[in-house]
Amino acid sequence: MTPEYAIETVQLGKVYYSRFRGRKIPAVNDVTLRVPIGVKFGLLGPNGAGKTTFVKMLLSAVHPSSGTASLFGRNSQDPEARRPAGYLPENHRFPTYLTGAGMLDFYSALSGLPSGERRRRVPELLELVGLRDWSDVRIKKYSKGMLQRLGLAQALIHRPRLLILDEPTDGVDPVGRRQIRDILDGLTGSGVTVFINSHLLGEVEAFCEYAAILDKGRLVLEGKISSLTAGGGYRIAVSYLPEQALAALRKAGAAIIPTGGALQVQAATCEQANEFIDTIRNAGGLIESMQASSSSLEDVFIRATQAGKAA
Amino acid sequence: MSSAQANVDSGLRRSAAGVFGALIADTFQEARARWLFWGLFGLSTLLILIFLFVLKIDLVAGAISIMGIEGTTRALDVRAFVLRSYSFIAIFLYIWGTLLAIFASSGLIPSVLEPGRIALLLSKPLNRPVLILGRYLGNVLIVALNHLYLVGAIWIIIGLKTHMWEPRFLLAIPACLFMFGVLLCVVTFIGVVSESAALSVMITAALMVISAILAQRKLMMRALSSEWTRDLWQALYWIFPKFYDLATVMMQTVLFNRDLDWATPLWTSAAFGLVVLSGALYIFSKRDF
Repeated sequence: MTPEYAIETVQLGKVYYSRFRGRKIPAVNDVTLRVPIGVKFGLLGPNGAGKTTFVKMLLSAVHPSSGTASLFGRNSQDPEARRPAGYLPENHRFPTYLTGAGMLDFYSALSGLPSGERRRRVPELLELVGLRDWSDVRIKKYSKGMLQRLGLAQALIHRPRLLILDEPTDGVDPVGRRQIRDILDGLTGSGVTVFINSHLLGEVEAFCEYAAILDKGRLVLEGKISSLTAGGGYRIAVSYLPEQALAALRKAGAAIIPTGGALQVQAATCEQANEFIDTIRNAGGLIESMQASSSSLEDVFIRATQAGKAA
Repeated sequence: MSSAQANVDSGLRRSAAGVFGALIADTFQEARARWLFWGLFGLSTLLILIFLFVLKIDLVAGAISIMGIEGTTRALDVRAFVLRSYSFIAIFLYIWGTLLAIFASSGLIPSVLEPGRIALLLSKPLNRPVLILGRYLGNVLIVALNHLYLVGAIWIIIGLKTHMWEPRFLLAIPACLFMFGVLLCVVTFIGVVSESAALSVMITAALMVISAILAQRKLMMRALSSEWTRDLWQALYWIFPKFYDLATVMMQTVLFNRDLDWATPLWTSAAFGLVVLSGALYIFSKRDF
């Protein structure tokens, strides 16, 4: 069966325990998230929200305490599930004894790329990220921006169908950021799903089509960015929303923000708002009000995370 | 999915063996970059040169030639001299060579577990144990090359000098390598649990000493007064690797060509190593990074 989502998590949770007292420290809490194939998705959240733990669970570097994570319909604990994924970690530490070309060759071998293919892909990727002249130079001589670009090349070298980037432009100067964005823009239309974990709202807003916000380990918002930030859009306040309506709204790309005991459903257009209202009412949901709205992603982010604090 | 993508996917699956090779090659590259590789081979070369120098000393060279030109009795003396030299070198290599190799290898496991490096490695489509086993094998191969070089060179030098080719000396290579492999399991275990190279060396060196003490069990059976302490001593003796016993068997074989029990120290030490390595792989598989 062809998978519907590049990433799917169902009630994914991670609890850490303090070393001596065994106190529970929940890092990620019941996150159910679906990332359709081929989209650009941004995961946002304040520091310590659990974003990196969430990403590491997707790639099996961290074992979930509850729930499941799958990539293209395959449980991420299965090594084969990670084969179509390329990953650029946050605060990566590539082996400094390798040259740029050597590093790409090593990681692509681990990704299972045959040697003939590696010989072709390594110079190709070095060219793509503008490091061809540096291919034989040891990584310890590279600047932060060069390391990020090399890391991106590493993530792309085996032609992944899913690219997971953890803070890809962190610590990179504006020129370097632009280069990274240009490389990622080059993937548009290739069918590659891009999942970016970032705290840079502007970057996610400019690049991604979908976004989700994690706060204190909980998913507080998700949807199409156009819906989330809809200028001239509409905000529907719902006091009761049945589960099937919630699923249907999410599938339709609605941004859903919990506010106190109620929910706010964001719609980009008047027609979409009416569709959402029909969905809610047909499922027996209770609408309190509807009003026109206009927000930036930053407004949405602040509202979502503040709502979490109020709760 | 396009046919190009399908071809890439099938190619990816075919090259699983390449993954193991890449991990081993990476261990070599890291050992080279950290100067461990050169350090080990440099020290081995120094030993070989010292040995060559010693053989060039008039007293030694003279003694060898005098023994060689005298009759049968003298020829036997040469043989005894050569065998004694071999057994001394084998024991030297067994103790100091193993300790040195442990010291050189101790950092190669924790370095893989550094934050920012391990997360990327684990994101690759490989089973976690493969990652550690690749490192383990890489370490063993580095030390194997070093032992081949050192023992082989000394064997050739003595052979050329005395015209006596005693293949029994070459047993030192597998014996030393085997014990290194067993102790490397401990290094790997401590490395996975604590991520500390220094602690790995400390515990492994302590294990070598403890194993030598436990091997004095015949003496201890007489010295220990209570039944349970004797049982405990025996139990510990059988659990721990037989560092001392294997050394004794190796030395006796090289010196006297006696038909000794190699099997017991080998299988008990191997069992210890396997259990410890399995423990390391299990803990590594369960850990969060």
